[in-house]
Amino acid sequence: MKFLTTVAIALLLLVLESVAVKRLGLSVSRIDVTVVLVVFLAVRAERLEGGFASFAIGYLLDLMSGRPTGLYVFLAMLVFLLGRLASMLVEARSAGTFLLFVAGADLGHSLLALFFTWTPISPWGIAGQLLLSTLAALMLWPLLRRIDPGTDRPQAGALL
Amino acid sequence: MLSLLKRYRDLLVLGGLLVYPFVTFLTSGHRGRPPHLLDRLVLAVASPLEGALSWAVDGLVVGARRYLYLVGAEEAYRSCLLEKAEARAELNSMRELAAENERLKRLLGYAEHTPAEEIPARIVGVNPAHNFLSVRLNRGEADGVRAGMPVLTAEGVVGHVQRVVGSYADVVLATDPASKLGVLVQRTRARGTATGAGGAKPLLLENVLRSEDVEEGDLVITAGTDGIFPKGLVVGRVTAVQRNAAGMFLHAGVLPSVELWRLEEVLVAPAASPQSVAAEQEARR
Repeated sequence: MKFLTTVAIALLLLVLESVAVKRLGLSVSRIDVTVVLVVFLAVRAERLEGGFASFAIGYLLDLMSGRPTGLYVFLAMLVFLLGRLASMLVEARSAGTFLLFVAGADLGHSLLALFFTWTPISPWGIAGQLLLSTLAALMLWPLLRRIDPGTDRPQAGALL
Repeated sequence: MLSLLKRYRDLLVLGGLLVYPFVTFLTSGHRGRPPHLLDRLVLAVASPLEGALSWAVDGLVVGARRYLYLVGAEEAYRSCLLEKAEARAELNSMRELAAENERLKRLLGYAEHTPAEEIPARIVGVNPAHNFLSVRLNRGEADGVRAGMPVLTAEGVVGHVQRVVGSYADVVLATDPASKLGVLVQRTRARGTATGAGGAKPLLLENVLRSEDVEEGDLVITAGTDGIFPKGLVVGRVTAVQRNAAGMFLHAGVLPSVELWRLEEVLVAPAASPQSVAAEQEARR
């Protein structure tokens, strides 16, 4: 259920973003909505369910990028696994820590995407993207809480 | 062995989900893979949704603009009537000239060639990944759009079709780092390559010899040698020319003539024919 819901939300948000960027202009910073959802899955979902959902979300972004190379699927899985590892060490189920996790994950995601695609982008572009993604996480938080209101946290060793 | 597999099942599955896309990325290169059945299914859901949403948003914006334009509409209407009368008179005289031109061409036995039809298309969405600059068009296979076709506006080059799925096509913009155009500086016929630099930055003018006469403001046009764009399409104007003390080539930018970040409608043109490219290469030799 969580798998289908998060994937459907990802598809809807990507379509919304695609139309919004078209209206606002290409030079506008993108919002990494997929990172927000993957971080949410990392701190809240079951191991396999979260893994498959992250894979599907990365696949959607890869497909919507117009040039599916597998890069965004790999990055989504990497963010999921690292987020899961970090959430065992730090409690990330409150809104504040969730936002910090999103900001950190988004920075890592952007830098890795830059490294692999070798695309020059200004630090201001990355800063804008971080800010917008964190704002998006703040706005999505109530919706995500509805999907999983649980309080259980991944236990140490839950990654394996 | 089986118990070991059972024990580490989740780890193996997650490892597979991580490694598989990475291997795909390393082996597929920057062009991406061709669309398969699942891609087509997902895009069959996402693209119409994108189109409908884009149509609704555009409708709202246009409606709001029209309402604002009503202020002073009567005055504009009267001025339009006057301009229409003048334009009609001009059109009549141009029709006369066209007919005369036609008669003279026939007289000289001029071989007329009809250029292939361009396909008008509307942009329905922009890809949400920052690293690749591409847009989605509302025209696809059924409309005759094929991968590799050039995409233009009246102002100049926009990019080329990267992928066509169903009734939609993805276009890589000229500013994308993966885009490379064979170009000419119109004034001096100096040849080079215009490469995308990402974001809203000007294109990079590469492979132009340092000794070539290139100045800021020179018009850059397509050379017709890249197998995609026909010769003579406007790309942009030269900016920031630098000639370093060492090195074979000069450094310059090309400011695109098309405002790529404000595109609404485009034309998909037929790709440059292999014969024309071969003829151009032969002429160069």
